[in-house]
Amino acid sequence: MSAIGSMITKSDVVPLAPMRRPLADSRLTFVSTAGVQPIGTLPFDVVHPVGDYTFRRVPSSATPADLEIHQLKYPTDGAHRDLNVIFPIERLQELARENVVGGLTQDFFSFIGYNMDPDLLERTLAEDLARAVADEQADLALLAPA
Amino acid sequence: MTEHIKPLRAVFVPFRMGHHFGVPFHVNAQRRIIAEALDFVRTATHSGQILDLLRWADLRREGAQIEKQQKS
Amino acid sequence: MSLAHLRDALTAGDNETLIRYVRLHVGDGDEVAGRREIDKAWVQALTVLLDLPDVDRAFVLETLRTRDHATLAHLFFSLHFHLVQQSGEWIHDGDL
Repeated sequence: MSAIGSMITKSDVVPLAPMRRPLADSRLTFVSTAGVQPIGTLPFDVVHPVGDYTFRRVPSSATPADLEIHQLKYPTDGAHRDLNVIFPIERLQELARENVVGGLTQDFFSFIGYNMDPDLLERTLAEDLARAVADEQADLALLAPA
Repeated sequence: MTEHIKPLRAVFVPFRMGHHFGVPFHVNAQRRIIAEALDFVRTATHSGQILDLLRWADLRREGAQIEKQQKS
Repeated sequence: MSLAHLRDALTAGDNETLIRYVRLHVGDGDEVAGRREIDKAWVQALTVLLDLPDVDRAFVLETLRTRDHATLAHLFFSLHFHLVQQSGEWIHDGDL
């Protein structure tokens, strides 16, 4: 089945993965399609007609001033005033400081949502990201579109 | 779209694109969205479940107040 | 518009489908806006050259001679967005 306007088809349901440990002992990671990246890293390829299939690591200890956004497809007026509105890095740092979560992975992850080849996306970006998140020994991942 | 993609657990927020964690400088709202999402990891009963959350109009009004206070 | 659809169009010589895809890309999903954006880039390029300013033609020729087709095609898209940004009328929500 294919939804109108969507290239994505998915009929299978992935079973719920239960929490392995309490939230206060769990390491949290954050994965975002917001195109947020550390200043000085290669800007996401926002002009490519077929999209960009790479991701950037964003240190979870970064401040909003360390970061910039490269993408064309969502309004950034709010994010330019307060990055947390789309990439809530300071809120997540607070949750770790207050032991609401056990900790944060060393890096968070970011890519852009303009990827017109879903098969390539699944084979490359999704696989690469999943491996990177597993390497960081995340117990829990918060995923946010932009 | 979310219903179609079937993520294991999803929180639906009524904000416009680029503003999925609420409104600028509304720390409480941003925290609440994350907290509800994290809590939903524990409380969701079946895969594909979507949690409906918050009202944008209220938060936008509160956010405007916060920005006004910051400027004054 | 899926990539498979585009490849089929390419095989069939259906350039109208291919250019529609370009218009949708540069117009953020709006084909009419995309057509205007393409025109805007050309008008901007012409505007910059109208008074015959100095041009580093050696750089241009060297680039065209030494770079691969994919890099040059990407440069073409890059120049489009660069020129529309330079025009001062930016329709996109985000930033380059």
